[in-house]
Amino acid sequence: MKPLLTHEVGSLDKPSWRVKAYAGQPLSEDDVESARHWGERLSVPEYPALIDLLRAAPLGREQKQALRRWSSLYAVRLLETAGLDAVYDGEQQRTEMYDWTVAHSEGFERRGSVRAFDNKYYTKAAATGPVSLREPFLNDEFAYIHSVAQAELKVPATGAYTIADWSFDEHYYRDGDLTLAAEQRRAARHSSRRRFVLDVARNIIRPNMQALIGLGARWIQVDEPGASTEPDELELFAESFNASVEGLDATFSTHLCFSDYDLFFPAIEAMTACRQFAVGFANYDSLELGTSHESRPGYRVIPKFRDLSYRPILGLGVVDIHSDFIESPELVRDRILYAVDVFDDPHRIHVTPDCGLRTRSWQVAFAKLRNMVAGTELARNALGL
Amino acid sequence: MSAALPDPVLAYQPGIYPRSERVVAATRGLERGRVTQAEVDGAYREDLDDFVQVQKQARLDFFSDGLLRWQDIFRPLAHAAGVPARILTRWFDNNAFFRAPELETPLGSRDVILDAIVPDGSVPLPRVGTLPSPYMFSRAAATHADRNQLMLDIARDVLQPAARVLAGAGCRLIHLQEPWVGFFGIEGGDVAPFERALAALGDGVDAGIVLHVYYGDAGRFADWLRRLPVHAVGVDLVETDLAALGTGWEVGLMAGCVDGRSSIVEDEERTAELVRRVAETVQPPVLYVSSSSDLELLPRDVARLKVQCLGGAVRRLTQPVAP
Repeated sequence: MKPLLTHEVGSLDKPSWRVKAYAGQPLSEDDVESARHWGERLSVPEYPALIDLLRAAPLGREQKQALRRWSSLYAVRLLETAGLDAVYDGEQQRTEMYDWTVAHSEGFERRGSVRAFDNKYYTKAAATGPVSLREPFLNDEFAYIHSVAQAELKVPATGAYTIADWSFDEHYYRDGDLTLAAEQRRAARHSSRRRFVLDVARNIIRPNMQALIGLGARWIQVDEPGASTEPDELELFAESFNASVEGLDATFSTHLCFSDYDLFFPAIEAMTACRQFAVGFANYDSLELGTSHESRPGYRVIPKFRDLSYRPILGLGVVDIHSDFIESPELVRDRILYAVDVFDDPHRIHVTPDCGLRTRSWQVAFAKLRNMVAGTELARNALGL
Repeated sequence: MSAALPDPVLAYQPGIYPRSERVVAATRGLERGRVTQAEVDGAYREDLDDFVQVQKQARLDFFSDGLLRWQDIFRPLAHAAGVPARILTRWFDNNAFFRAPELETPLGSRDVILDAIVPDGSVPLPRVGTLPSPYMFSRAAATHADRNQLMLDIARDVLQPAARVLAGAGCRLIHLQEPWVGFFGIEGGDVAPFERALAALGDGVDAGIVLHVYYGDAGRFADWLRRLPVHAVGVDLVETDLAALGTGWEVGLMAGCVDGRSSIVEDEERTAELVRRVAETVQPPVLYVSSSSDLELLPRDVARLKVQCLGGAVRRLTQPVAP
């Protein structure tokens, strides 16, 4: 892989025309204008056909399928137009990273919305029986994106630990009799939890990846935003990653975010099949320019990733996805230069946002990604690459 | 009332209560410019009415407003003190996050405007108000200041005025959330400053202070907790061994008998039996019955059933059906 390769991490917001038309809600002229505006801006020459489709709302089932693909195409073009080296489609065809997986699996039932923070929620399900893959759930989107993308593809796929951690468990651990000794209950909970996580890895995530690889996927990013939720389960997280990917013929990376990253060590020393860790740092960093240790407080943990014995690449989060602040190319440059200095090897640094950009508007996401690419170019120039 | 039970045994549901699907959709729509503020306000009003109704039906003894508009347990207080809260931080071992209050400058010079924490007039009396404990507040804050000094400042300049406002608004209990001690523990050198902060917080507050230690085993601190300068101490029985709590407590006990993080709804009869065993073991002067943590991390329909279970369990003990 090229030094300082740039890529996105996962999700983008879904355009209003996609959300409303898919839900059967009336479209405003602003929604249609947005489809036209971005079609022109992203050089999607076929976009008048999308306008015709939107004018035909309410949409039937096949038309909705077409709508999802339009959204996917627009997102691919947004990422390509921003100049990224590796792209996907901002998960436009999925409901959401967690829900899409459990909706295509056996053994789960939805329980309702649960808040993650502020006004951000996800639909949380419960494991109510043994879990397994009902049908491969990324094949259709991958086949489509593969047919339209011009840049290299990296497929984001939610990991086993996160799926289990974000679910209630009503099957593997049922007896919460609080009159029993706490230690006895704790041991039963841990043992049940391990069975749950590894069942997700072996029976859902791994067969789904095998299907993707069969279609030609070469790089799969295992998304694990929940990985550090339980500090005493980090070895289980690593075990689940290995159970999901070991022996499969593709490049595997993982994405970690919004955690105390120190917690991951030493557990991730066991994840020798992980070629890259994409990690969010910008949220914790200063907005001032500078490449000194003191200037970059958000990146203090990166020597630990550098020192992993299997020498993974670090996907360096340089763009905060929880703010509309547009990082300047110079700020991006300085974050990269600091990391390259710590690693002493630009081939082991990739450049990414902290996480998926779905909480930002397309306007903001595009501006952030363009500056990320521009900042990477400044860093390449500074390093003589 | 059973001879083995303390008098009174009382139930309440503190903390942040989950929002309805309607509020979820409305707030999401507002952020994307698809709905109006009036529609969002209407959705919140329905949620508050619903939560009040649930508490009445469950016949709880104290009423909460469910902190339905609070984005996290610190945010309204941070805003009240004019303190920024930006950095997204994991809420213990949950898939949930708060924005850490940034407390780099002394609080004392600020005007603290607490209108936003006053419960709505539709919430029946007597009420329970919820605040973060000063220890957790000082540890969760983004700061380079001395955290024990910060704890005292927060207790004196923010939490004590807030507790007085809540007491003046009919809150007979001020419930302090203290998961930090439960999850991370507390060092010996922090104990005395914490006790001073609790005393400062309660100074002149005409309400009982309940310190709720959760997300961890309170049994290891039981000898200390039972002597704190508070009206009652809450424990999380999902994480705590009942036998480790000791017996003959000097302060009241709030028993977290319903799991605030599991979607499995507890059986009312088994919960009542658990409460009876808690009472027999700990023998507190007053026993409150509640959830192990607040119910924010559950879908609302599940939370509703848990509140009903709490009230039902206490009624089984205090108003037994004649044979």
